[in-house]
Amino acid sequence: MKRLAELKQAGHKAFVAYIMAGDGGIEKLGEQIQYLQERGVTAIEVGIPFSDPVADGPTIEAAGNRALDKGITLEKVLDEMQRFDFEVKVPLVIMTYLNPVIRFGAERFTQEAKKAGASGVIIPDLPFEHRQLIEPFAKQQELVLIQLVTLTTIESRLEEILKQAEGFVYAVTVTGITGTRDDLAEEVGAFTRKVRELSPVPVYAGFGISKESHVNMLRDDVDGFIVGSAIVQAFHEDRIEDLEPLIDAVTIPHSV
Amino acid sequence: MTRVKICGLMEEQHVKAASQADAIGFVFAPSKRRVSVERAQELSRLANNDMQRIGVFVNASYEEIDEAVKTVPLTMVQLHGDEPDELIRRIDVPVIQAFSIRSPDDVEKLNNSIADYILVDAPGTDYRGGSGHVFDWSLLENVNLDHSRLILAGGLNKDNVQAAISQTTPFMVDVSSGVETAGRKDEVKIQQFILQAKGDSMERTQEKTIDPVGFFGRYGGQFVPETLMKAVKELEAAYEDAKNDDEFQKEYHHYLKEYVGREQPLTFAARMTEAWGGPKIYLKREDLNHTGAHKVNNAIGQALLAQRMGKRKIVAETGAGQHGVATATICALFDLDCVVFMGEEDIKRQQLNVFRMKLLGARVESVTKGSGTLKDAVNEALRYWVTNVEDTHYLIGSALGPHPFPTMVRDFQSVIGKETKRQILEKEGRLPDAIVACVGGGSNAIGMFHPFVEDASVRLIGAEAAGAGVDTDRHAATLTKGSEGVLHGAMMKILQDDAGQVQEAHSISAGLDYPGIGPEHAHLADNGRVTYEAITDDEALASVIEMSRLEGIIPALETAHAIAEAKKQAQSMTADEVLVICVSGRGDKDMATYAEKLEGLS
Ligand SMILES: Cc1ncc(COP(=O)(O)O)c(C=O)c1O
Repeated sequence: MKRLAELKQAGHKAFVAYIMAGDGGIEKLGEQIQYLQERGVTAIEVGIPFSDPVADGPTIEAAGNRALDKGITLEKVLDEMQRFDFEVKVPLVIMTYLNPVIRFGAERFTQEAKKAGASGVIIPDLPFEHRQLIEPFAKQQELVLIQLVTLTTIESRLEEILKQAEGFVYAVTVTGITGTRDDLAEEVGAFTRKVRELSPVPVYAGFGISKESHVNMLRDDVDGFIVGSAIVQAFHEDRIEDLEPLIDAVTIPHSV
Repeated sequence: MTRVKICGLMEEQHVKAASQADAIGFVFAPSKRRVSVERAQELSRLANNDMQRIGVFVNASYEEIDEAVKTVPLTMVQLHGDEPDELIRRIDVPVIQAFSIRSPDDVEKLNNSIADYILVDAPGTDYRGGSGHVFDWSLLENVNLDHSRLILAGGLNKDNVQAAISQTTPFMVDVSSGVETAGRKDEVKIQQFILQAKGDSMERTQEKTIDPVGFFGRYGGQFVPETLMKAVKELEAAYEDAKNDDEFQKEYHHYLKEYVGREQPLTFAARMTEAWGGPKIYLKREDLNHTGAHKVNNAIGQALLAQRMGKRKIVAETGAGQHGVATATICALFDLDCVVFMGEEDIKRQQLNVFRMKLLGARVESVTKGSGTLKDAVNEALRYWVTNVEDTHYLIGSALGPHPFPTMVRDFQSVIGKETKRQILEKEGRLPDAIVACVGGGSNAIGMFHPFVEDASVRLIGAEAAGAGVDTDRHAATLTKGSEGVLHGAMMKILQDDAGQVQEAHSISAGLDYPGIGPEHAHLADNGRVTYEAITDDEALASVIEMSRLEGIIPALETAHAIAEAKKQAQSMTADEVLVICVSGRGDKDMATYAEKLEGLS
């Protein structure tokens, strides 16, 4: 995770790819991670499928259902990651809803996630107020619990959350669920600027990012971009090459 | 919290009836309510340890008073004569000095008393221990008086005590003739008086057990995406504010009365009582509400709150369609925009309700994901809310979801239990021995149970859906088979697999077809205050026929689960016991299912 701060200092933008673990079969997980790291992404979020993903739009929900149909569980994903026989060169972040973690056991989850080579955890339905359920265990394993902030996060909470932020801050750029969008709202730039001013760690924009036009719009106001639905869909349709221009648009330094 | 004293007790059963009061009084002065010290001692043994025992005297000697204090023993002494200050000083226990109030001048005297408490009463006529006449409480307003030592007496009864308390905020209210019938204490009136005087504050003390805010034991919380946190927090603050606003409460009760048609009867079910051969059966008639079920109680409350928050768009989920219909109805009434998410499967089995919603001007969105039932409808409603949160209120239909929903829905539904408590005291002079309600998400049950949770003598039983049987994989028996988990914004009990994936529920009844149970129920199940039993589809259907033919009341399928469980409970109860069933809704919406399942019925 230190690497993310260094990248920021060097003035480079981060590209974080979200994948749905086990979509297409658990054996695809390693392949996809290898492909993405070779392609120059900065970090990878490994999504765990859940039966009731209320923060997700249809693309990720469908991917989750395909994975569930193949019997994918949190445990299987962590096992698979522990068996990787290639070098993982980028930070891996586990993204999961809270219930599978509670069922697995919060302490056991952080231990196994650490063994699986993860650097952090994102739990979209675990608000800052309830982080005690997970954070103490995460700390023991030196995993960072990534916080989300949104367009609706009120000022006082925003400051509270950012004060404690570690790794990176996930700035949600839509008032809504995940999924591709044509346009982002006008006020997003001002929002990410504000977050960036207050945040001690890099700020990455996510939710709805799927096009170069989004990247161009926000480039100067964030430290990186998180792309989910577009990647998940491209892997599913076996046309991940289509995403290469988007990855390049973020990661290849622009001379401004 | 204002304390309650029941004064002039002479008989055992009246001391017992006063068990929820804070103080009981024995009159040792000449009066028709006079008791001997020995009699007071006997009666006093029946009261709880923490009950204050107060002796009432008129110009008695120190020795007389002291003997009573030691023998009964008394924890306080109340003086109604012209006792000198020296006497008051000598008494070991706290002293209450009584004054008759005629005019503002009399109020002045109160402040000069050296007693620990001052009791104000109307001028006596028959004897000096209190007249039973009402005095003008307004005399106590706007005068310099320490209300924390004020005890209010004189003409109080169940109908005026609330007003008296809010006008004078006394330390304690004292009643004697106001809880009598024909010159003798009356158990029902005693309990009604305590209920009226303490109703709200009893609820408040119960709430203290929710700690930290928004949790019932380990269940509850606000497990929602960050985008919703602002809305959830705003709602929490707005509800807190509305709850304590008399105007809001007045408006809510206005609509319950004028629009919903409350209060609903507590009907004695003579033929069911006879057929089951056990306890007396009473039916709380939520089926008589406008729109046909209890759901409307909550829909009105939340719709008023949404408007108070400046939100004129409503999103809701529905299972059986009852909540959807209630919401669509209220949105028509208040001219609010309404979208209802409903599972595809439920749309099929509750067609009539779908049409009703559309007729009322709501948009009904079919949810094809998952099992196409209530869980999936909640998911879609939550997603819609995340996307439209700035101008939309999520009007959740059961005691589920992130805080404050479970508390708020329970409060709006508590009108069921509050009415029932008042009605059963009127009809039977005592609390019921058992109450049965069906549980889907848990709103009608918690609304019925909540006012009785502190009454240890009342057994509370929830009936959940066993579908094809709890040992099959087609049921919705969350409390029988579920485990702790987070779903739809709260830690609660859910049906899930080993990996923490939420399972699909199954029940013939769309309103019980949900794999979770609200956090307060989860807590009440853990601490054993409420027991939960599972009823199969077939048992429920049999109860539909039985109740229809015995009482001429066709129940909703959900309600039928409560009937079936009540019948089981009745087997082990006796004729001198009382059993209340919450009839959460009527069966009109289920007529297609009944026609199909009960084909060939003769
Ligand atoms: C008539 C009736 N009773 C009971 C329920 C179950 O809901 P709850 O457990 O919230 O009372 C429903 C839900 O649709 C209903 O329509």
